[in-house]
Amino acid sequence: MAAQRSRPKLKGLSFLLAIVATLTVAGWGAASPATVTVAVGADAVRLDPPDMTDNPSETVLRHIMDGLVEFDEQLQIRPALAERWEFQNGGKDVVFYLRKGVRFHDGTPFDAAAVKANFDRILAGGLRRTSLYEPYIQSVEAKDTYTVVFHLKFPFGAFLHHLAHGAGLIQSPSNIRRWGDKVGQHPVGTGPFKFVEWVPGDHITLEANKQYWKGAPKFDRLVFRVVPEDATRVFQLETGEADVITFLPPSEVPRLRANRDLDIRVADSLRVIYVGFNVLRKPFDDVRVRQAVNYAIDKELIVSQVLGGMASVSDSPMAPGVNGYCKTGGYPYDPERARQLLKEAGYPQGLEVSLWAPQGRYLKDYETAIAIQAMLQQVGIRVRLQTMEWATYLRNIFDVPKEQAQYQMYMLGWAPSTGDADWVMRPLLSSQSFPPGDNASYYGNPKVDQLIQEGMRTSDPDARARIYCEAQKQVVGDAPWAFLHVVKQVVGVRASLQGVKVLPIEIVLVKDASKK
Amino acid sequence: MTRYLVRRTGVLLVVLLGIVAVTFGLLRVAPGDPARLIAGPDAPPETVMALRHELGLDRPMAEQFVLFVGQVVRGDLGQSFQTGRPVLEEIGWRYVNTGILALTAVGLASLAGIAAGMLAARYPYSAVDSAIMSGALAGVSAPVFWLGLLLMWLFAVKLRWLPTSGAGSLRHLILPAITLGAALTATIARMTRSSLLEVIEEDYIRTARAYGVAERSILLRHALRNAFLPILTVIGLQLGYSLAGAVLTESVFAWPGMGRLIAGAIFTRDYPVVQAGLLVVAVTFAAINFAVDVLYAWLDPRIRYD
Repeated sequence: MAAQRSRPKLKGLSFLLAIVATLTVAGWGAASPATVTVAVGADAVRLDPPDMTDNPSETVLRHIMDGLVEFDEQLQIRPALAERWEFQNGGKDVVFYLRKGVRFHDGTPFDAAAVKANFDRILAGGLRRTSLYEPYIQSVEAKDTYTVVFHLKFPFGAFLHHLAHGAGLIQSPSNIRRWGDKVGQHPVGTGPFKFVEWVPGDHITLEANKQYWKGAPKFDRLVFRVVPEDATRVFQLETGEADVITFLPPSEVPRLRANRDLDIRVADSLRVIYVGFNVLRKPFDDVRVRQAVNYAIDKELIVSQVLGGMASVSDSPMAPGVNGYCKTGGYPYDPERARQLLKEAGYPQGLEVSLWAPQGRYLKDYETAIAIQAMLQQVGIRVRLQTMEWATYLRNIFDVPKEQAQYQMYMLGWAPSTGDADWVMRPLLSSQSFPPGDNASYYGNPKVDQLIQEGMRTSDPDARARIYCEAQKQVVGDAPWAFLHVVKQVVGVRASLQGVKVLPIEIVLVKDASKK
Repeated sequence: MTRYLVRRTGVLLVVLLGIVAVTFGLLRVAPGDPARLIAGPDAPPETVMALRHELGLDRPMAEQFVLFVGQVVRGDLGQSFQTGRPVLEEIGWRYVNTGILALTAVGLASLAGIAAGMLAARYPYSAVDSAIMSGALAGVSAPVFWLGLLLMWLFAVKLRWLPTSGAGSLRHLILPAITLGAALTATIARMTRSSLLEVIEEDYIRTARAYGVAERSILLRHALRNAFLPILTVIGLQLGYSLAGAVLTESVFAWPGMGRLIAGAIFTRDYPVVQAGLLVVAVTFAAINFAVDVLYAWLDPRIRYD
């Protein structure tokens, strides 16, 4: 009977062994060397440049399509499908001379008519990024086959930056006609990779465009794989299932740096984290109280202790990488000065305020808020800390009429996707942009408003630099925000893959990469 | 049986309408604006307002509800706010994926759980029994995240036998199925053990033993069949829960399934996807319960429905 009982167990065991053996023989499915896999945290949403607003879509699209101009790693504007350009008529007409002999992946020739078709579609409205172009482009004219002229409503200072934005990528006009409003699932451009398939929630596969005008890519296939869990992405990088992973959790950096197969990149971003004050309500209607908070926060300490060095202290509403940034000096840590200012403002006994902060949206956001709470306590400001889920948070900040705005202080981040000062100052700090716009501080200064208008309507780079510098200094003095820090982005790359570029606009480009 | 079926179907329809109404209401009451989330925090207000109009969110809530129910009745579940793809297309193959994962997990768990439970019942209060029951306790208590990452670290990172994540082959299925099935295995083992121990006390088992029937045969043929009803209920319920609740396993293993889809859609306030997703899950849940009831009647002819 004992023998009878053990037999089925043995069978089970050998079955298990057989499975394991088969799997082992079947091989660790190492991707062929000609495939590069990028593991991203979220899937793309739609692959239609002027109709997408999310980072994962833009990352994929920048491998399929080119724009007239493009950003390099320092966010300088470089020629792409346009070989050169001229500003005419006082900056109101911009003439682009296009690259010749380029074709879209579907065979359609790239020419002035194609550019016109793309922008006519945007200007016709109804797309998510129409508002990025419509306010200043009057019309687009195909002057001859390879010359296209943008007629502007006024000389717009950040025009080239807007063209370099992901929304300005050029797609095949015949493909747009073919797919209509489903074009976002079937992207066709002139870029180094052609779209092959998209399995939503799982992966997007591209293949090399051997006829690419800059020369064929150095590998055959590019796969963007959706892996939402941070720890899983890290494992994939370690096993080699992924060659590149984005949004690597900073806490893993020291451990992974010890692995010589990996190249852990900590790159600058344009994302500024700040605490906005509701300047319409007490106590933050008094500039001295706002300045006091700025002096009371030890930003160096937050960067080193809370963020583990994965950020840099900020002294302006914009990051140093933004076109138009200038040093303002900001507010050094000075709790004595803070106490003094509070006393002058009539709060010798201190005061009590509320601070809203998101949790898990930005690197250590809630932990940062806790640190701020402790620091403000030191100067006599008692902070009630409140957090809420992201969708609720945004609604409570942006979608309430100003009389009803309940917040006193709120923490937010901002990264201008055009890389230009205009896209910081105009939406966040102009009195034209009160909620439902993005100026949730309700900050308005006529001088700053005027500088924002001037900066927008000036195309001379030197003049713009002066204008925005003056505006930043004024804003920092008025302190509608507590300026905190600029976060860094962490990207993990297999050391065998070279030439990966990390743009400050939180885009990773592998199009020029090659595998050893 | 026919009358029973008709009555159950009627009740089911009412329940489903209730679910539709409740999810619709809850989503609308929950703060957070889909248009703002889709447009992104750096979108100008005109874009947000245009989107709100495009998505029909500026219409009165009652009108939105009537439109939605009308759509569902016509079999049209609308389009995802986020991707613009038809909701059925979004859900369809993810539903299949989750089904594969849940069925595999429940299948593995049933085999392992029943086997372990039987072994424990065969030698009650012995070392074998306590080992199995401690294992079961650990299985029930192990958090999915921890277990999933542990398995991944061992079998993918260290041993390199299996891929860390993704879908598409049998090898991709193994780790998530074990992770999802672990707690279930433990539940089934405990249920099998206690249910068997109860049955074993019955007279007919004693009689069979007295006739010299082999112990294994007693357990398998006589005891298990009669102890099976509560086990079946647990398995049926767990299959339903796995379908709905595989969210954590799916996100740890990047398994493109329903759970992840619905959870993501809740965060982005993608109303059509959440509504349709929950509806599909509810229908499945009801169908499983129904199947379990029918199986009950088949296994135990004493149970009557009319």
